[in-house]
Amino acid sequence: MSLSRPQSWSRRSRERLAGYLFLAPDALGLLLFVGIPMVLSLSLSLYSSNGFGGYRYVGLANYARLWSDPQFWDSLRVTLSYIGMLVPALYVSGLGLALLVRRTNLFNGVMRAMLFLPQMVSLVVVGLVWQMLAADKIGALPRALAGLGLGDVSLLGDPAYALISVTVVSVWFLAGFYMLIFLGGLQDIPQMYYDAARIDGAGPVTRFWFVTLPMLKPTSLFVLMTSLVASVAGAQTFDLIWVMTQGGPADSTSLTILYIYEQAFQFGAFGYAGAMASVLVAVLLLVTVMLFLATAGGRVKGVT
Amino acid sequence: MTYKLNRRTVLRTGTAALAAPLIAGRARAQGTPLRFTQFYAPGGEVPAQVAWFENLVASWNATHEQQVLLEYVPAGDYMGGRLTTLFATGEGPDIFLLSPGDFLRYLNGGALADISQFVPDIVKADFSEGVLASRMVGDRIYGIPMEVEPMAMYYSVRAFEDAGLNESDLPSTWDDMLSLGERLTTDDRYGLLFDTNPGFYQNFTWYPWFWQAGGAFQNADGGSAFGSPAAEAALGLWQNAVALGAAPRQILGGGGWDIVPNLGSGFAAMQNCGVWGIAALQDAMPDEPFGVFPMPTPEGGAATSVGGGWAFCANARGGNPEAAAEFCAWALASEDPASSARMVDWCTVAKTNIPPRASALEAGAEALQSGQMATFTNEILPTVRAEPRMPPEVYSAISDAIQAAMLGGTAPAEAAATASDRIDAFLATYDGAPIL
Repeated sequence: MSLSRPQSWSRRSRERLAGYLFLAPDALGLLLFVGIPMVLSLSLSLYSSNGFGGYRYVGLANYARLWSDPQFWDSLRVTLSYIGMLVPALYVSGLGLALLVRRTNLFNGVMRAMLFLPQMVSLVVVGLVWQMLAADKIGALPRALAGLGLGDVSLLGDPAYALISVTVVSVWFLAGFYMLIFLGGLQDIPQMYYDAARIDGAGPVTRFWFVTLPMLKPTSLFVLMTSLVASVAGAQTFDLIWVMTQGGPADSTSLTILYIYEQAFQFGAFGYAGAMASVLVAVLLLVTVMLFLATAGGRVKGVT
Repeated sequence: MTYKLNRRTVLRTGTAALAAPLIAGRARAQGTPLRFTQFYAPGGEVPAQVAWFENLVASWNATHEQQVLLEYVPAGDYMGGRLTTLFATGEGPDIFLLSPGDFLRYLNGGALADISQFVPDIVKADFSEGVLASRMVGDRIYGIPMEVEPMAMYYSVRAFEDAGLNESDLPSTWDDMLSLGERLTTDDRYGLLFDTNPGFYQNFTWYPWFWQAGGAFQNADGGSAFGSPAAEAALGLWQNAVALGAAPRQILGGGGWDIVPNLGSGFAAMQNCGVWGIAALQDAMPDEPFGVFPMPTPEGGAATSVGGGWAFCANARGGNPEAAAEFCAWALASEDPASSARMVDWCTVAKTNIPPRASALEAGAEALQSGQMATFTNEILPTVRAEPRMPPEVYSAISDAIQAAMLGGTAPAEAAATASDRIDAFLATYDGAPIL
């Protein structure tokens, strides 16, 4: 008589099954709330909708309309400008803050908590508070700028400054979150690399460039990808901008996600909105694949 | 007793099993109350408005078999897409409130039930022609207006006194208004305020300036008439106000309709706002004096204001469209004196508004002739044109023109021409109800 387990269920098979079971709840959630809606949105883009349950198959007509819609291209241009400012700013601020509070002590613990605190506040409240701070003439920020001799500056009402202003607020809100991600990445870097670098005579800047930054590649890839998605389609982006500017002034903060919302939920053009959303997802996928290829999936050479 | 299972038994049982839910569903549809979705009751913040809606529904329910149930949606959600989503998902309410800005979209989408069969001719004639016309196609009525909300200029008496001005200095022309706006502007106050947020409301508040300059949306051929000197003048007016530093680029509170955080707080000395501003200022700051005057006109222009306001509408695809349509007419457009009295109550007790029926105007004369309301009733109401109804594509083109000229620095003529081209391109294939 043998006391060993049946050979048909090897340890490897059981491990694999356990892994799938652990993944199952999240995979199911993703399928139900992301995967299926994405497929439905894609199929919706092939229909013309009047917003009252009337759907007519139009093939690729919504995509043709999109191609010749200057508002869509304008919104895409604004989105790209926003990405161009927000993603690098989040990367630099998140990493910078993480390096500043990297050591574990009471002061840094308090600082970490304070930097993460904006995440605890409702985005609508964040938007309203910053809107008050930036109010023309009477807000604290325009008053400070006027005190510097810059005259009446409208931070949210002038197309020249509005997108920069909402980017600054977005960074203020999100930097603490990315700081935590980078902190996790920093803690994963083995101390022996720094010790070896010190023995070789490397200073702090050299250690940062040749130890910290390369070892943070997987974290960097994650931060770049999530901040990219956040700036294109994240709830943070939509809520903040909707509260602070509603896409104005003169469409200067009208990101594609706001234009999609307007078409779907104000005008009932769900098919056209679906087409725009599909294009946006395709662009995001393309950029993500490029990021993966450029960083070899965030792998660190020589480290397993 | 044995039960014989044969093909006929299976068919009979199967048919009964399939029919049972259908019969039950039909029975439920007839017994289900009509949902009246709006943003006033039962969850609203103003007790008089909540009471008005609750009394309305209680009166109907006491005398009709088909019951009505109030369903409250906060105003921001209601106008921010909730109603659109309800209809798109087939969950549209049986009765709901609709503004002229959204009217054509719902009408062209087949969502509005014809109410005209329940509105007697004598009552139809009692309504302000333009206000009812914007809810009609041909002879058919698709919405019963509950109020008229005309636009005017408000001013802060304190700001005027601080600048050594009084009522005799109120402007009557655009140039006077701009000069006065500059004079009243200080380090922490703007002299003049127009809405700056893009949206239906900003368009609504801009239309009277456009009309005063002689503007029209369509020409006799049905094409766009927007690329006109009138549009250029009206766009230029708002652009100049901002460029001169007399008007803000961004306003406070919820928007241009929100008078308390703007004029009331001292942020602006004069504000373009609707009739509801009277109640808002009196409630929030009863000791702060303010005044109202008709919107100034360009040299030689005709005094014109715009009257917005919501209407009761019935869902053509609801559970019982006929009863829903009857409810709308019974509430505000029946021969029963209670119907007219209800309108007076809404416009003078629950809100400060102008009733759209002549009989209600007469019955509510006491309230409508008191204080600042008298300016609206006597001077502004005769100049009111109904808020235009237009499809989203036309609204959007005009909205972009206003934003581009006012805040983007685009030359008014260029902004008007761009919008006109967009409107023309849209009208070339538009086959919905007429734009008014």
